[in-house]
Amino acid sequence: MDRMPQDNRENQLDGLWAEYRRACPDPEAGPGFIPGLWQRIEARRAANLSIFRRVAQVCVGATVALTVLMGVVLIPHMQRIPIYSASYVDVLTANHPNSYVDILTGDIK
Amino acid sequence: MLVDFELIERARSGDDSAFNQVVQAYRKRILGTIARLIGRPEDVEDVGQEVFLRLYYSLDQLRTSEVFEPWLYRLTVNAAYDYLRRQKRRQESRMSDLTEQQVMLADAAAGGKRSDEEQRRTKVRELVQALLGKVSEEDRILLMLKEVEGLSLKDLEKIYRVNENALKVRLFRARQRVLKAYEAQED
Repeated sequence: MDRMPQDNRENQLDGLWAEYRRACPDPEAGPGFIPGLWQRIEARRAANLSIFRRVAQVCVGATVALTVLMGVVLIPHMQRIPIYSASYVDVLTANHPNSYVDILTGDIK
Repeated sequence: MLVDFELIERARSGDDSAFNQVVQAYRKRILGTIARLIGRPEDVEDVGQEVFLRLYYSLDQLRTSEVFEPWLYRLTVNAAYDYLRRQKRRQESRMSDLTEQQVMLADAAAGGKRSDEEQRRTKVRELVQALLGKVSEEDRILLMLKEVEGLSLKDLEKIYRVNENALKVRLFRARQRVLKAYEAQED
């Protein structure tokens, strides 16, 4: 079978594109096109809102849970830990029981 | 431009009636482009709605009204591309996937009911779709926009955001691949 020259093929292909353009004219949109479009817009809007709502609910839930945890567990636990059970002087006295007496009586060595 | 810049600005600022007017002005052109890009008339409106839905939710990202048409074409190209990718994944049994004998039988059955002109158009559509089915979605869409939709290289530059030389190379390669498929079909 003879092969057509490349240029001829290209011309045929160009002709085919033009024929295809004529064979596929712009279709008219159906009567439901715009109402259907608005339904999809509203559905997307509702979906976005529900996502935001869900995120907000999760955030609120997490905050409440954290607050309860702090109130019930952490705060009482922290209150039980004695941070300052004695004054500075008391601690010094406990560590050096005779120092003051020795100073006062002049028995410092 | 099928609408004036002021209407686009109103649609951008959230005026739904202005957006409706934009859709009414462009829907026929966009549906035509989609029909030729995807080659399946039953899904054209669905893809068209997807394009305008994306337009509605991305209008605020449009820098100026002057770039509205390339922007709309880019959304059309993306929606068509997504559709073609989905179709490929589904691997539905289509006319182009049937055996030659099945196609001839289907043609013969349908042929009796159609006029000669309609038969010729159907053949052209099937031939072009068969050729485009042999190249990638990217090649298919690029060639359609250039050769069938008649967009200039300047228009394509704005849609694809690549320079003219890169586009010329891509177009040349895509055309060569279709030409090869065409030759194989003819032989």
